Amino acid sequence: MAEDAKNKSTYQSRSELKPRAWIADGLRVTFKTLVRTTVHRPNTIQYPFEKLVKPDCYRGRPGIVLEKCIACSKCVRICPNRCIEMVPIESATLGKVKRPQVNVARCMMCGYCAEVCPTNAMIVTPEFELAAYSRSELMFDPFKLQFESKPGYEVCSPMILPSEIKAGKTEMHNKGDMAIKDTVALDAKKCISCSRCEKTCPVGAVKMTETGEINPKTNKPIKKPAFDNEKCVSCEQCVDVCPKSCLSMKEAM
Amino acid sequence: MMFDYSGLYQFLYSVSSWLLWEVGRILGFIGIDSGNILYPIRQFLVDPQFVYFVALLLTALIYLVAALLFGIQFIWMERKFLGRFMDRRGTSVGFLGFFQNFADAFKVLLKAVITPKDADKRVYQFAIFAILAVSFMLLGLVPWDINWYAVNVPLALLLGLAVFSLAPFALILAGWSSNNKYTLIGGIRGAAQLIAYEVPLLLVVVSVIVMTGTLNFNEMVAWQQGNIILFIPLFIGALTFFIAGVAESERVPFDLPEAEAELVEGWQTEYGSLGWGLVMCADYLRAFIICALFSILFLGGWTGPTFLPGSVWMLAKAALVFFFMIWVRAAMVRIRTDQLLKFCWNRLLPLAVINLAVAVLIKIYAVGGW
Repeated sequence: MAEDAKNKSTYQSRSELKPRAWIADGLRVTFKTLVRTTVHRPNTIQYPFEKLVKPDCYRGRPGIVLEKCIACSKCVRICPNRCIEMVPIESATLGKVKRPQVNVARCMMCGYCAEVCPTNAMIVTPEFELAAYSRSELMFDPFKLQFESKPGYEVCSPMILPSEIKAGKTEMHNKGDMAIKDTVALDAKKCISCSRCEKTCPVGAVKMTETGEINPKTNKPIKKPAFDNEKCVSCEQCVDVCPKSCLSMKEAM
Repeated sequence: MMFDYSGLYQFLYSVSSWLLWEVGRILGFIGIDSGNILYPIRQFLVDPQFVYFVALLLTALIYLVAALLFGIQFIWMERKFLGRFMDRRGTSVGFLGFFQNFADAFKVLLKAVITPKDADKRVYQFAIFAILAVSFMLLGLVPWDINWYAVNVPLALLLGLAVFSLAPFALILAGWSSNNKYTLIGGIRGAAQLIAYEVPLLLVVVSVIVMTGTLNFNEMVAWQQGNIILFIPLFIGALTFFIAGVAESERVPFDLPEAEAELVEGWQTEYGSLGWGLVMCADYLRAFIICALFSILFLGGWTGPTFLPGSVWMLAKAALVFFFMIWVRAAMVRIRTDQLLKFCWNRLLPLAVINLAVAVLIKIYAVGGW
């Protein structure tokens, strides 16, 4: 307290016309800025007429490569703003399929959809000038969302698990590595062998296989789903579709 | 005639006499001759006294327009330079951003004139005219070349500073009549500051008078042409005059009367539309007049190499001093009220007195006696 008072008094007594600190320094710094901005140019970018050079990894609006997409709807799940929706489309090459539609008005350009996409069909594009006259113009259907892919537009952030960090490993995993993949676990007691999971799987990783037991009523072999973890993309569609809730995701921790 | 007028006035006198003579002729042509009931009006129009009055009005009008243009031009200069000082571009509408201020002026012109409900209406409106009058009058008192002035009286410097020091009166009127705490505090602060800083300013001016032995701007410049520009012997005085001048024109770091962070816009808070715009213009004009006075008193006015006319030298010197004002504004922070007054009485006043002593000594020993 006493020291504070002392400092204050010295500050007051010295602060008047002390040409070293608050006069000369400010004058020097501002004059240097003046010379620099007059010789070269100011920091300002005259936006509509000149634009900054964007980096290759710039995250603008999301884009899609329709041929690569497998309609796993992982992007729909991850989207924090819930602006992605799977809509049915029909085209000559693809037939009747479901593909994501993005409400760009609500999109916050985080790029999570591209990060989780198992086939890199969803990409981030360098487009950011998205102003439109109506909200419906900002509803990007799958065809409008298409964008030519370049390696820089794909988001492939390497990952490491918390358990591996604890164990002292520093090796990073790429997207789709077995070590970081969530897998599907089956509670075989509940399963009624409806095979909906097999039908709904976008990559054909589920196969109904005979367990060796025989149904006593019909005398037919009982089939239960078997999961091919190499093919699986952890899209959870089978978990959602299971009528008896016997499937669950087992996270890679 | 009482005063010695410039070539501009002579020109306008001939123009207005020709114009009124033509009007009189047309009136005669359409049948208003002696005997007609309107004949006295025709006689009155070509009367030398009336011609003199019209010429005066025209001169005043041209000076008013020139003052406004000066204000706008120096606002532009400040905005551009401040932009460069702060690593940005400043105004950018039109050629080098010059038209931005005209756009602003027209915008201000088109706004509705609003008088606050609780304001003292007569005084509120009078105050703004008082400020404008004492500011624009200054332009006529400062000569721009040896033959370019509106009025050249023997006591021009004294008259100029007297007009300059009328401002705090108008400031208090404006602050009080607006009936608002911000304007009141701003007005009182402004008056205190202006009155305090008058003292060192005038003491420095006294030292210049001691050196040159005259109160007339023309003779001061002539003395500096014959001997030495006063910036060199009276360096301390020039510095003091500059600092006091910055304070007199209410600019950073002495812009306490309109401290935006505390007092909104100071004593101008309640003024809007054209009134505010004109006061803004007048503010810059006052700053520029201080710069012009500085260049006359210390930098030799319109003296300079002859490849440019004297008025250009004068304007260039004033603009240079104004550049320093802008630099100071870009570099410094606003100081407190107590620091402001302490700085004035404790530092500037002794400096001014020392400067006066220096001037007296130089006058006695170097220049050669009284």
